[in-house]
Amino acid sequence: MSDSEARTAREEWGSRFGFLMAMLGAMVGAGNIWRMPFTTGENGGGAFLVAYILLLYLIAVPGLMAETMIGRYTNHGVIGAFRTVLGSKRAQGLGLVVLIVNVALMSYYAPIIGWALYYAGHSVLMTFTQPGFQPQAFWEGFINNPTLVVGMHTVTMAGLAGVLVFGIRRGIERVVKWMIPLLVVALVAVSIRGITLPGGMEGVAFVFTPDWGYLTRGSTWVAALSQALFSTGLGWGIALTYGSYLSRYDDVPLGGGLFTAIGNTSIGLLAVFATFPVVFAFGLEPSAGSNLLFISMAQVFPELPGGSLWAIVFFVSFFFATFTSGLGITEVAVTTVSEETRLSRTGAVLASCGAIWVFGLPSAYSSAFLGQMDFMFGSFGLPLATLSIIALVAWKFGPERARVLDLNRNAGIYVGAWWNSVVKYVIPVVMVFILGYGVYSSIGTANQRLMLLGVAFMAGLVVVSTLVMSVVGDEPPSGSAAVPGGDD
Amino acid sequence: MALSTLTWVSMLVSLLLLPGVAAAVLVRSLRTEERKLALLREQDDIDSYSPRAFSDLRGWIRANPDDPYAPIARRRYNECVRSLRAIDEPHYDWSDEQIARLELVDE
Repeated sequence: MSDSEARTAREEWGSRFGFLMAMLGAMVGAGNIWRMPFTTGENGGGAFLVAYILLLYLIAVPGLMAETMIGRYTNHGVIGAFRTVLGSKRAQGLGLVVLIVNVALMSYYAPIIGWALYYAGHSVLMTFTQPGFQPQAFWEGFINNPTLVVGMHTVTMAGLAGVLVFGIRRGIERVVKWMIPLLVVALVAVSIRGITLPGGMEGVAFVFTPDWGYLTRGSTWVAALSQALFSTGLGWGIALTYGSYLSRYDDVPLGGGLFTAIGNTSIGLLAVFATFPVVFAFGLEPSAGSNLLFISMAQVFPELPGGSLWAIVFFVSFFFATFTSGLGITEVAVTTVSEETRLSRTGAVLASCGAIWVFGLPSAYSSAFLGQMDFMFGSFGLPLATLSIIALVAWKFGPERARVLDLNRNAGIYVGAWWNSVVKYVIPVVMVFILGYGVYSSIGTANQRLMLLGVAFMAGLVVVSTLVMSVVGDEPPSGSAAVPGGDD
Repeated sequence: MALSTLTWVSMLVSLLLLPGVAAAVLVRSLRTEERKLALLREQDDIDSYSPRAFSDLRGWIRANPDDPYAPIARRRYNECVRSLRAIDEPHYDWSDEQIARLELVDE
């Protein structure tokens, strides 16, 4: 089947800007806003940024190029991509692993979007600047009210379904084209407000003053690796799925790789400027994580001149960051379900969003359950999914084939042969290291049992997915089974 | 609070390497797309590989004639050659001499 034949039946992005904003929106999420500032400050400030930027360019950029490229080349979602390249029914099980990890991640991310929506709504109602407002009590009143949290989870999934049902161009693209620019403008505005506060520059000093001693600590590099790999969305299947909607004339390495990774981190850096000056100006605890947003920041706005407006700007932009990630994560399931079943796009959206809603109910109901899901799937599921996708490109398709045939086709930048060894050796080694480090650092801690459960669950997931796909998987395209692995 | 010189340098380098690079890449990517669309409107076709990427493709086809992906590679190679011969203005920096030297390969 020729390229053009394969592409006429599939929707494509309407514009380059739409694709870039969708990629950026999918990768920028809650972690960029509440994790990056704290991780930077806690790991040597400027020294951490040196390690992080180095690893970002060395690993995340080439990895995202590989993932986007395999999506464009195969023109399929995760299971279809594995079927096209691996050429066996059983091997499609790895695609199913990526899909299940993705659905699991979204099941506990959707309630977080619901939290962001609740706070965005209350910022518009100017609740945070009402006399006598108590941020701690407000948060606890919300999170301990099952009707409210499950309700917000439901509204979130309905909202995502309402956008996704319109497809790539009229749904996702139409929304992200204004949400992401507004997010950037809002973060810049909050940053300017923050650094002009008395004491705000202390937050900047905390984050950016380099303590070079941290570069000799293993923990700094592990933190930088985790942040560079996971905050950029590498291996979630999103870049593969969004890449599958690129046209043959579109570039992959400049937009799918460089812009996505660097743009995503740039928003993380903006979040540093938006939160840390405020944190220091008001003497808040910088390591508060999600509490930093929902309790500490909410406490600040009544004391700021024009606090109601700043609360709206901050919480609505935070909601945009999480919602656009939700679109990307859910689209992985929607694309795959619509390809692998006889369901229409609308049917696939309803099935995917319905399943995520059901699986998300325990996480919506219990923050402790949400934390356990995050530990299991964030620590073990994501590295497994990333390894699967990178192995598909590097060890089966072959990096040299990928680079020469497709990556450099219609590319905005030329990618040299250095890329091959990064994708084939460096990224898999790093992923295995992170998996191993996750196991090692959990031994003897309260998480040990959960870690063992996570490892056993992921191993079982691979076995069961392989068996399931060997029974229900579609026959691979003729000839693909004969393709040797790597560049052999 | 006055920041130290080292903090200023660290902050400015981070801003340059992250938002600076991202903004430059965004502008370049959008301009490239604009030019591709203009060329497609005018010529109905554009060249798909830069001279350097095309040279890699040619080298790979020669080194791997029996590879299962070789037919796709040869098709894409010939497609690029035909486009370069048909169009007036290439997207990549191909010279007339380079285009004149190109030959089709057997599919």
